[in-house]
Amino acid sequence: MKFRAKIVDAACLNHFTRVSNMIAKLAKTCTLRISPDKLNFILSDKLASGGVSMWCELEQENFFSEFQMEGISAANNEIYLELTSENLSRALKTAQNARALKIKLTNKHYPCLTVSIELLSVSSSSRIVTHDIPVKVIPRRLWKDLQEPTVPDSDIIEANLNGELNLKIETELVCVTTHFKDLGNPPLASENASQARNPEQMAEVHIDIRKLLQFLAGQQANPTKAVCNIVNNKIVHFDLLHEDVSLQYFIPALS
Amino acid sequence: MKNEVRRRLLYGGPQRPFYAVKRNSSLGKRRRRGGVKSRSFEKRGQHPGTRGRQAEARLATRLVRAPAMLKCGMGGSQVKVFGKAIQALSRVSDELWLDPSEKGLALRSVNSCRSAYGCVLFSPVFFQQYQWSTSVKMNDNDTISNLNCKLGMKSILPIFKCLNSLERNVESCKIFTRSDKCKVVIQFFCRHGIKRTHNVCFQESQPLQVIFEKSTCSNTLMIQPRVLAEAIVLFTSSQEEVTLAVTPFNVCIKSSNEESMDLTSSVHSEMFVGPDEFDFFQIGVDTEITFCFKELKGMLIFSEATHAPISIHFDFPGKPMALSIDDMLLEANFILATLADEPSRASSPQSLCLSQKRKRSDLIRSNSKAGKNVTSKALEHISRKAAPKRLCPNETLTDISALENCGSPPLKRVSGDVGEVPASSVRRAEEVLASPCLRKARFYNAGSPSTLSRG
Repeated sequence: MKFRAKIVDAACLNHFTRVSNMIAKLAKTCTLRISPDKLNFILSDKLASGGVSMWCELEQENFFSEFQMEGISAANNEIYLELTSENLSRALKTAQNARALKIKLTNKHYPCLTVSIELLSVSSSSRIVTHDIPVKVIPRRLWKDLQEPTVPDSDIIEANLNGELNLKIETELVCVTTHFKDLGNPPLASENASQARNPEQMAEVHIDIRKLLQFLAGQQANPTKAVCNIVNNKIVHFDLLHEDVSLQYFIPALS
Repeated sequence: MKNEVRRRLLYGGPQRPFYAVKRNSSLGKRRRRGGVKSRSFEKRGQHPGTRGRQAEARLATRLVRAPAMLKCGMGGSQVKVFGKAIQALSRVSDELWLDPSEKGLALRSVNSCRSAYGCVLFSPVFFQQYQWSTSVKMNDNDTISNLNCKLGMKSILPIFKCLNSLERNVESCKIFTRSDKCKVVIQFFCRHGIKRTHNVCFQESQPLQVIFEKSTCSNTLMIQPRVLAEAIVLFTSSQEEVTLAVTPFNVCIKSSNEESMDLTSSVHSEMFVGPDEFDFFQIGVDTEITFCFKELKGMLIFSEATHAPISIHFDFPGKPMALSIDDMLLEANFILATLADEPSRASSPQSLCLSQKRKRSDLIRSNSKAGKNVTSKALEHISRKAAPKRLCPNETLTDISALENCGSPPLKRVSGDVGEVPASSVRRAEEVLASPCLRKARFYNAGSPSTLSRG
């Protein structure tokens, strides 16, 4: 198993740092999946995170100037690593004005993701900072739990096909509803579903507001596009697209 | 006194009286009634024995010709530096010695397990006014003793807490001692005619001093504090120890971690710094020393205030290292113990842990047998008998070999409770008074007991 990557562009580095900060806010421990053309941050430990799951995808070409990886085997050319997301974001924080950043998979008594930063210092001699982030390699047999979630056909009520979204909270004393109008509806994948649906009918789902808050608070930059899919009383699915990073977040309904 | 109380109630204003005007007059009144101390004894429900106190006070004046004293004044900008010194020393331990001498006013601090010592010496030119004297006693064959003043960090640190606002508001600051009452008085003269006074009780205790020959160290580095501060950013606040590894070609500051095999072990970080970033770079011997991170941070806090470069003097692992700042107006030295090299260091991680654990239990046993006596003189350095895993004070660690005291009489190490003290009965009485429960910073309190309880 091998992995080496390098970032030299300051803008790419900032973007990568922002993504890692966002992940750190959403998930304490996450899985990093490395494949030849993508990097994914996955959270699918449904029990520990209270049912929430997350899937974030980055095209590696958009970030890294050099990228080499070799998976477990030729047939399964992927690497799955488990790490504490805050460690990565803290390590990247020290790379603010770096000349270059290198990430590689190493084995120093235990598997590590080594982040090596070359800093330009005032006296013009470069300073090298290294962080060894401990990781756990996830064995092949557990890979099937970490696949990209399929988006179920959504019913849209409480957000309906006419582009209306209502966010409602209810407590014993008060009920507050926020109405959003004139939102777009993305074209549905299957035609059958759309024909059966009455445009006025609303789909609704009850979710834990703290999870929604955690998700929204973790956003570092405004996404260029955001899609919200609701499966009636089952799950809500947010799909955010920031330039070249896509983040999918699933919040299950409260039973 | 009663009139004051009624007036305050009428206004409905703050419960505490406005001190600036009342203070001096009420001080006079208080003295006639036997001093503040008796009142606070009443407050705690103990028998005041006012008459007895007065008698002892009279006895004190007969015996002591002139008590040791300190009186100094500084301007507003110096207050910040002084406060930073206290903050830095608070990282070392919970107790602070004020030690005036002809060289200047030294603030000293030693941690409980004797693995760290800090001393900041302010030279007389730092102050606008600086006066000090030793005491001469009639009994005890005219022994001269310095002001042996130990303060609790909890009392004095809050006084210098908001240094930025102090810097803006304080025009000058006066510090003087009242040995007859075992108090240090700190007065801030602020803008708009406001005068703030703090009384801190001190405990009679001879300061400990560590002699460390910096010139004999084979490795010396001098670096701007900004560079070190950038290195510190790498480590989390939970990091306990850091390692400094040097070769003639570069210097590496790295986190010093336990070897463990799981995900929860922390990130290992290191930073390499080239020789040209140092103001002075002399490496005689390649070495790696490990010391406590907290004290390094403490030293950095202080260096921010002085803008002077930090010198690091060290040798081989096990021998203490010194972090120092040398300025025209002050000299700061932090002497830290370093982790000693294990003979089995070259072996695999598991066996390293085991051997260190064994050593640590040996150390604890030997500590319980040995007393805490520290009497041998001619000390060169703090050395550590064994090499426990952690340096930092929350684990029982080092066994000190010796620490030399300042004055010539044999060293008395006063622990948290009332310690042993030199002969005279007067002194013993004052010791009892200056017990830890009294060591609280109090605003100059003009009130009767009723006011105290309301406040």
